[in-house]
Amino acid sequence: MADNPNQQLLDMWKRQVEEGTQTWLRMMGQGPGAAPTMDPQSFWRPFMDQGMAAWSKVMTQGAAPSPDLMAQWKQFLDQWIAAWSRVLEQAMGTDTFAKLMGKQVEGFLNVSGPAKKAAEQQVEASLSGLGIPSRSQVTALARHIAQVEEKIDGLEDKLDRVLRRLNDTPARPERA
Amino acid sequence: MKDELFTMMGELPAMSPELMARMKEEANRNLLRMKHFSEMVMNPREPKVGPTPRQEIYRTNKSRLWRYESRRTIRTPLLFVPNLGISRPYIFDLMPKGSFVEHMTQQGFDFYLVDWGVFGEEDNGLTVEDAVTKILPRLARKALESSGASEMSVLGYCMGAPLSASFVTTHPEFPLKNYINMAGPIDFAHVGLFGKWLAPEVFDVDKYVDTLGSIPAEMVKMGFKLLKPTMDVSTNLNLWWNLWNPEYVSGFNALNKWANEYLPFPGEFFRQWVRDFYQQNKLIKGELVMDGRRVNLREIRCPVLAVGAKEDNIAPPACVKPLVDVVSTRDKEYVELPGGHISLIAGRGASVHCWPKVSSWLAARS
Repeated sequence: MADNPNQQLLDMWKRQVEEGTQTWLRMMGQGPGAAPTMDPQSFWRPFMDQGMAAWSKVMTQGAAPSPDLMAQWKQFLDQWIAAWSRVLEQAMGTDTFAKLMGKQVEGFLNVSGPAKKAAEQQVEASLSGLGIPSRSQVTALARHIAQVEEKIDGLEDKLDRVLRRLNDTPARPERA
Repeated sequence: MKDELFTMMGELPAMSPELMARMKEEANRNLLRMKHFSEMVMNPREPKVGPTPRQEIYRTNKSRLWRYESRRTIRTPLLFVPNLGISRPYIFDLMPKGSFVEHMTQQGFDFYLVDWGVFGEEDNGLTVEDAVTKILPRLARKALESSGASEMSVLGYCMGAPLSASFVTTHPEFPLKNYINMAGPIDFAHVGLFGKWLAPEVFDVDKYVDTLGSIPAEMVKMGFKLLKPTMDVSTNLNLWWNLWNPEYVSGFNALNKWANEYLPFPGEFFRQWVRDFYQQNKLIKGELVMDGRRVNLREIRCPVLAVGAKEDNIAPPACVKPLVDVVSTRDKEYVELPGGHISLIAGRGASVHCWPKVSSWLAARS
C-alpha cells in the first residue's frame, strides 16, 4: 500500500495532523508536564483511521467508488467534523481562550473607538457645511418621534385604565 | 473491433442487479446535484417565508403584535414571546408543513406573536426593563383584548423566556393560564460558552456599549458563528449530500435566508442583558428589579412546562431546567428533547418531537 502515491500522500497528511495536535496542545499549555484536561487526539484518531481504511479500499479497488463507499466517506467526514467541533468547543471553553478573546475585543475597541469618533466628527462637519442634515440629527429626530409615540401610548394606557374603572363601577340608581 | 469489445465486456466481473440499481440511483442523484447546484448559483430564487395568514393587531415604535387565527377549538389563546434582536421571528413560521405557528393554529390555538422589530440607533436607550415593563405589558393586553379570552398562556422562547417570566411575575394582574419556557436561559451560571466569554473579568460591557453605541448585526453574527465554528462546514457538506432532493433544497434555502439575517441590539438593552443576566445572574437569585418591582419566579403559580434541547449550546439544558425548581406549582414538567437551539423548534425533528409535546401539554390545560 505504501507504494501507492495517493496512500503515501494520505499517510503524510495523517502525520501532519498528529504533529499539529502536539503543537496545539503545547500552545494551550497542556503539553508534557501540564495537567491534562483534554486529549483531542482521542477524538480524531479513530475517525482518521476509519478514513484511511475507506481510502485504502478505494485505492485497492481501482474502480469507481460504489455508493457504499460514498456513504462511508460522508459518515467519516461527519464524524471528523463532529470531533473537531468537540475539540474546538473544549478549547474555546478554557479560561485562556476567554481571556485571549477579551483582550482581542478590548484591542479592537481601543482602535475603533477613536477612529469612529473622528470619522463621525468629520462627516458631521462636512454635512453641516453643505446644509444637509447629519446622521446624528436624523437619529435625534427619530428618537424624538419614538418618545412622542411612547407618551401617546402611555396616555392611551391611562385612558384605558380609567375607562375600565368606570365600567367596573356599579351604576348608581337614578333619582326619581 | 466489434468482436474485441464484446469479448472485453464479457470479461467484466459480474455485478449483482441490486448493486447495479444502486449505482444507477447514485448516478441519477449526482446529475440532480449538478442541476440543483447550477440553479442555486445561476438562478437563485428568493425563498417564500411566513406562509401562515396573519393580521397586525397592534404596533408600538418598532414592535408589532401579530395574530394567527385558528378554528379556536382550544379556549385559551397563546402569546409567543421570542428573543429581542439577534434574528427575525419568521423562523417560527418558516414554510408550509415546516412551521410551529401553522402546527399550533391547526391544533386550534389562536396564536399571538410578539415581533420586537428591528431597532435602530434612535432606540439605543431602550433597556431590558423597558421591554418588560412598557412594550410587553401593552402587547399582552392588546392580545387579550383582541382574543376576548379571560386568560392567556405564555410561551417564551430563548431570550423571550427570561423576558416573559420577568413580565408575568411583575404583572400579577395579567391572567396567566399556563407558562412554557422553551430553550430559555434561567440560571445563567450554566449558560455555557457565552457565559464564559461574557464574564466580567474578561468582558467590559460598559466599554463595549460606550464605544459602539448599538451592537451591530455583524458583531452578533460573529459571536454566534464563533460558538460553533464547524457549523458552516457541516451545513455545506449536508447540502452537497442532499442536493439531489428538491424538498431538502427548498428547506435549506429558507433556513439559509433566515440564518444570514442577523439583527442588532440596542446598546442599553445589551448592557443590562449582559450585566444583570449573564454577569450577575440576578434572575434566578431573585435580585432583578423592574420598574420598582422585584422579579420573583416563585410568583409563577400556574402550570409550567420547560423544554430543553439536548445539543443546545446557546441555552444548555442545565440553564433551562432550573425554572421548574423555583416556580410555586405542583403541575410542572421538564422535558429534554433531541436537537439544538434552533432545531428544537424549527425543522423536521421539531415537528416530530417538540411541537406535538407542546401542543398536547397545552391543550390538556387550556
